[in-house]
Amino acid sequence: MQYELRYQVIEPKRHTYQNVIDRLGDQPASRYLEATLDVQPRENFHYRPTWAAGRELYDERFSALRLADPYRFTDPRQYYYTPYVTNRAALHEEFGKTLAYLEERDLLAKLPPAWRSVLAAVVVPLRHYEAGAQLVSVAGARFAYGTSLEQCCSFAAFDRIGTAQMLSRVGIAAAGGTADMLSSAKQEWIDGAHLQPLRRLTEEIMVTGDWAEGILAIGLIDRELYPLLYQSLDQPALLGGAAAYSLFSQHLAGWYADQRKWLDALVACWAGDPEHGPANQAHLDRITTAWQPRAQHAAAALDQLLEEVK
Amino acid sequence: MTTTLRQVGIDLQESEDNRALIEAIEGDNPDLTIRHLPGLVKLQAPGRIVVNRESVEARLGREWETGEFQLAIVSYAGNFSEWDDDQIVVSWEH
Repeated sequence: MQYELRYQVIEPKRHTYQNVIDRLGDQPASRYLEATLDVQPRENFHYRPTWAAGRELYDERFSALRLADPYRFTDPRQYYYTPYVTNRAALHEEFGKTLAYLEERDLLAKLPPAWRSVLAAVVVPLRHYEAGAQLVSVAGARFAYGTSLEQCCSFAAFDRIGTAQMLSRVGIAAAGGTADMLSSAKQEWIDGAHLQPLRRLTEEIMVTGDWAEGILAIGLIDRELYPLLYQSLDQPALLGGAAAYSLFSQHLAGWYADQRKWLDALVACWAGDPEHGPANQAHLDRITTAWQPRAQHAAAALDQLLEEVK
Repeated sequence: MTTTLRQVGIDLQESEDNRALIEAIEGDNPDLTIRHLPGLVKLQAPGRIVVNRESVEARLGREWETGEFQLAIVSYAGNFSEWDDDQIVVSWEH
C-alpha cells in the first residue's frame, strides 16, 4: 500500500494589519512597520491644548521642520520595543563587564593624574549634559508628529539616561565606590569655567520651543563632544597608560555611531521632502548657523583641559 | 543553438528576520519567482541568484554577515559559485 503525502496551503485571510495594508498592500511586513506605520493618533481628540492656541493635542506644526508624510521617514535601525531593549541590554551588559574588569583591578582609581583630572573635570560632569539632552529628546517624543519620528526620540531619551548612568558608574568606580567624584563633578558643572559655555548652551536648548531644533542643536553638540572625548582620546589613552579610559569610552563611541544613524536619515528626509523640502532646508541651514558655532565654542572650552593628556 | 538556462533555487525558512533577506534577494534578482509554502519560501531564478550583503543590511537595518545566510537556508538547487564577505552567488557551474 502506498501513501501519497500532499500538503495543502491555507492562505491566511490577511497577511498583516490594516495600518500596513493601507500603505503597502496585503503582504507580510516587518514587525517594525506593523508597530510603526500610522500608529500616531490623528483624530477624535477630546481635549485641546489650552496652552497652545490653534494647535491640536498632537500637531505636526509643533516644529518648523515638516514632512508631507511622516512615515516617509523610517528608522534605519528598525527599532521598536523588542529590538531596542535587546540591543541596549546587550550594550549595558558589555559596559558592565568592562567596568567589572576595571573595578576588579582598580584601574580607574589608578589612572595617571592628568587623566584622572580629565575624568573628574570633563567626562563625569557630562552626566548633567546627558540629563539635559534627555529632556530635549523627551520633548521630541512628546511633540514629534508621526510614530516613526517619535519612537526614535523616545529611544534617544532612554539612551541619554543610560549614558548618564554609564558616566556615573565610571565616576563611582573612579572614586573607589563612593559618590565623591559625582558631587565634585556636579560642582564642576555648576562652577567650572570650562563647562559654563556647554551648560549655558544645553540649558538654552532645553527651553527651545521647537522640538526638532532642540534635537538638532543637541546633535551638533554631540558631533563635537563625542569624537573629541571618546574617539580622539582613544590613542593617547592607550599609549599614555590610561587604557581604562579607552576601555569604557569605546561603548560611548559605539552609542554615538548608532545615534547618528537615525538622526542623519531624518535630516536627509527633511531636506528631501517633496512638499516641504526647500523650506526645511532653509530651517536646517538656519539651525546649523545658529547653534554650530556655539557648540564648537563649548567643545573648545573643554579641549583646553585635554591638552595635557593629548 | 539556444541554451536554456536551468533554474537555480534557494529555499529559505520563513521568519521575521528572513523577510528582509527575501526582500533583498527579490530586489537584486529581477527574474526571481517566489513561492510561499507553510514555513518555507522557495526562490527560483533562471541561471543565477545573487545575495548582496549591502542590500540585505539596508533592509535589515543592522550589520549582516554573509555567514548568517546559513541560518536562513533550508535547501538549495545549484552551486554556491561564490560566497565571500560581500556576495553570495548561486548558479550552475556544469
